[in-house]
Amino acid sequence: MTATIPPAVTPQAVAPARKFRRRPLTPVNIVQRVLAYTLLVLMVLFCLVPFAWLVLSSVDGNAGPNVQLPALSFENFIRFFTNEGTPMLLVNSLIIGVCGTALNLVLGVAGGYALARFEFPGRRAFMFSILLIRVIPAPATIVALYLIMVNLKLTNTLFGLILVEAVLQLPVTLWLLKGTIASVPVELEEAAWVDGNSRLQALRRIVLPLIGPGLGAAAMLTFMGIWGDFLTPLVMLQSQELYPLSIGLFRAFSDHNHVDWGLLAASAIVYVAPPAVLYMFVRKNLLKSSLGGAVKG
Amino acid sequence: MKRTRVIAALVATAVTVGGLTACSADSSGGDGKDGPVTITLMETKQIGIDSAKKQIPGFEAEMKKQGRDITVKLIGDVLTDPQFVTKITQQYIAGEAPDVADLGDSMVPGFAGAGYLAPIDDYLADWDGWDHYFPQFKEAMVRQDGKIYALVHDTGVQNFFYRKDLLTEYGVDTTQPATWDDMIARLEEIKAKNGDLPPIVIPAGTAWGGGTWNEGFQPILAGADQDYYSLETGKWDLESKGWLPTFNLYSDLVTKDLLPVQDLENPNPWEPTKYDKFPAGELQVAAQGTWGWKFDWGPDGATPIPDLETKLDTWQYPAMEAGGETYGWSGLGSSYGISENSENKEAAMLLAQYLSSGQPVADQLVASGAAPVRDDIADIKPFADEPKLVQAGKDLQTSLYVPTGDGSEQVAQAVANATEMILQGKANGQQAYDAFVEDATDLLGPSLVK
Amino acid sequence: MTSITGSPTRAAAAPQPAPPGRRRPKRTWPFVLLLLGPGAVLIVVFIVVPALYGAYLSFTNTQLTGFAARDPKFVGIDNYTYLLTSADFLASLGQTGQFVLFSAIIGQTVLGMVAAILLSRPWVRGKGLWGAAVLMPMIVPEVVASLTWASVLSNNSEGTLNRLTGLFGADPTSWLQVVPMVSIIIVNIWRGVAFAMIMFQAALEDVPADLIEAARIDGASAIQIFRHITLPLIRGPVFLYLLLTTISTVGVFGLVYFLTQGGPGGATRLAAIYIYERALQFAQIGIGSAASMILLVLVLILGLVYVRLSKVEV
Repeated sequence: MTATIPPAVTPQAVAPARKFRRRPLTPVNIVQRVLAYTLLVLMVLFCLVPFAWLVLSSVDGNAGPNVQLPALSFENFIRFFTNEGTPMLLVNSLIIGVCGTALNLVLGVAGGYALARFEFPGRRAFMFSILLIRVIPAPATIVALYLIMVNLKLTNTLFGLILVEAVLQLPVTLWLLKGTIASVPVELEEAAWVDGNSRLQALRRIVLPLIGPGLGAAAMLTFMGIWGDFLTPLVMLQSQELYPLSIGLFRAFSDHNHVDWGLLAASAIVYVAPPAVLYMFVRKNLLKSSLGGAVKG
Repeated sequence: MKRTRVIAALVATAVTVGGLTACSADSSGGDGKDGPVTITLMETKQIGIDSAKKQIPGFEAEMKKQGRDITVKLIGDVLTDPQFVTKITQQYIAGEAPDVADLGDSMVPGFAGAGYLAPIDDYLADWDGWDHYFPQFKEAMVRQDGKIYALVHDTGVQNFFYRKDLLTEYGVDTTQPATWDDMIARLEEIKAKNGDLPPIVIPAGTAWGGGTWNEGFQPILAGADQDYYSLETGKWDLESKGWLPTFNLYSDLVTKDLLPVQDLENPNPWEPTKYDKFPAGELQVAAQGTWGWKFDWGPDGATPIPDLETKLDTWQYPAMEAGGETYGWSGLGSSYGISENSENKEAAMLLAQYLSSGQPVADQLVASGAAPVRDDIADIKPFADEPKLVQAGKDLQTSLYVPTGDGSEQVAQAVANATEMILQGKANGQQAYDAFVEDATDLLGPSLVK
Repeated sequence: MTSITGSPTRAAAAPQPAPPGRRRPKRTWPFVLLLLGPGAVLIVVFIVVPALYGAYLSFTNTQLTGFAARDPKFVGIDNYTYLLTSADFLASLGQTGQFVLFSAIIGQTVLGMVAAILLSRPWVRGKGLWGAAVLMPMIVPEVVASLTWASVLSNNSEGTLNRLTGLFGADPTSWLQVVPMVSIIIVNIWRGVAFAMIMFQAALEDVPADLIEAARIDGASAIQIFRHITLPLIRGPVFLYLLLTTISTVGVFGLVYFLTQGGPGGATRLAAIYIYERALQFAQIGIGSAASMILLVLVLILGLVYVRLSKVEV
């Protein structure tokens, strides 16, 4: 199916939200809209209601495992932040998350560009195998991974962990970015070369600005993947000062597994904040990630 | 280690950077007399961390007096047991583990078996503290190959804690039930008076995880039969005489509605039962270890019960049949294990010995609510001031313990599954037992089943 | 949209002289090595090598702890025959299949598509907020997600769901005991809708509004438009999404484990939980690795099916 849009159009200048209507609202439209909003509300309720417990418990001085009217207090949050070493956990998670994502994106753009622009033998096999290998659950691979890290003397360092986390998320990033870059018409780059730019300059000046959406999606997925990983840091790190928040969350499970519900809920809310903020920040780009390019029909 | 060599070979072909030496076995020594030595101690429970922090300066000073320069680095890492095992297993494999680790009872057989821990028989033979250990613990510490791999420093006795105040109020007899039939009759009496609520909680089902076997099933089984595992052959006897009566007992308790089935099926079942209903008085009897006095219900515990010394008391486990003895079940508590790859085994041993003797151990026992494994602690304050703990220490003389080896995790899983069937009403005792035998045989594999 | 014009553009470019450095085999390798090299090497070291080691382990009876750990032996395909004849393992594969089919392939895809379509309507207000709300289940850590659902599905009268059904006069139900599979499927749908929504929103953006407008003018109904115009155009992204979500759903562990521990009676013992039990709990890493390999092969087959069905060019 061919479209009628001329090739010179840049990926983002398409289909702006219509601000005016060509015809008046019909009753059918009204029903449609009511239906749509109802569905949205139902869906959002489905997504948010389970959090009722979380939110209520975090401000509940007497939190339990079930939803109950809270004895309102912020002591859980206060306890969370004044708990020895907790702010450190948050800082560590942020460092690992941000640096890991940054490294991941750099490697991803470079690799994605190579995969998109060059058809080299084994490309298909490479693409598939890196994705499928991620099916093997961590318990089976952690032994070897740890041994490798020990031999590379990278254990118990933030740098080592950042490196591993960035690489673990790389397969998905490569898939996403390869597709996004492939959908940028090569002609734009060619035009830049004609103008005297080197290949790498063209990449920086032309391709990069156009793949914002794809970068946003990859950044989001990578950051969330790193943010939530706790097995890798658990095994790789020894010093408590380096632990990320994903492990620290389990501090609320004291000895004998007695859970401090309020503390856990408060920790979880703090834990969820950075990815949510990232989402808001990335949302503009995210909505328009041109994934269609990953799969040319 | 073979594993390490295979990995090194693979790594060599893929990596150009980094040393490729597998961690070589150490030359033992390092006792601090020939130069400064640093050893690492790992604790994963807050109480252990606090206790260690308190004792380390005393140790270092003591060592100085002996002309040894030893510094102890404490790795205080609050982790749950499964997390700790996952993590330290990797470290042992790679030879990166701390010199001394405070290990739980159930962890030692696995690590000792795999060769991650150094045998300490020689050190113990040279140590006068060893003479003070109760004989049954000296025996219990010996593993399948006849060696001792970890030094036990505390233990608990598992009993039934009951709300003496409530039972007295209900007019129910509080003397020790002699047999399970007596116990069940007692429980039914309580139930008639407490508003028809299930009066007892014993770990059961899959939600309780490994505790179902460790704290629920095994103590009862051991009262009926101690031959279900043989340390010499390393095999489990699934046809041993105690399994079926124990499953039948569980079935009995469930059909008579004496166990809080609903709570047992929810995730974290100890929460609503031991940490909620028992303190609140809606549940009157709980299978529990000595640490309950401090850890769970003590003033600094998870859910404190005020005046617990007067409100609570303990019953031993009733005998399975008339004429049998009542008993307490003693686990081995926590042990200090020395890494086989440690370069300073002597210093590590000195630390372990220090922490297991005299004042240091007395302090630790009181903090965690445990009983001593030696006969020379009962008079040391602050331990001497804890009547319940001292009593537990005395109970230890007559307590039971059956050490097990490879395969305990699998058996625990099979028992959890089988008791879950009982909880759900899908099987009676016999059916659950049959299912258990099938399941355990499959999980253990032929080499571990008699 | 440019993605659709991929083919015509390339065709249009052919008659023009190839710019310097383009498409000449001799010149591409240095670039590929420079750009993809570092990433590829790191992937090999941190992902491929451990996987190969896992594959090696699957042919041994290696244990991580216990006396059997001292002497691992090569056992050939014994682990595989054990697993493929083990009722437990086959059951876990079946349960995983059910889980993936209903929660990912059907549940998440349908709801994600609905959400994406709803949020692509230009007249919808507050898109950011709706989107963020749907995103929350995905960014919450697994432990917390499980605990929140534990409180919803709690079997006593204070559980959220029981309170709701109580409004209609029903007795409190032990949801996790009575309908365990359905419960975890719903939990996983809840968790993954955001991923589908994100992927489909992007894909829908690529569908030219003109085409839809034209069809509407011609009198087509919304459903007809969706089936005959939209769907074929987003076929590629849909299959890519199915591939990605199958892979990630097969690996779901914590979410289910913290909630059910694989029970009751193994009813929710997914493959990932089976592997965790074997590899970490029983320390039987030989069997755990073999199970991982079997899982890998199954997903590979599924992946090839997806590629075939979507006629996707990789």
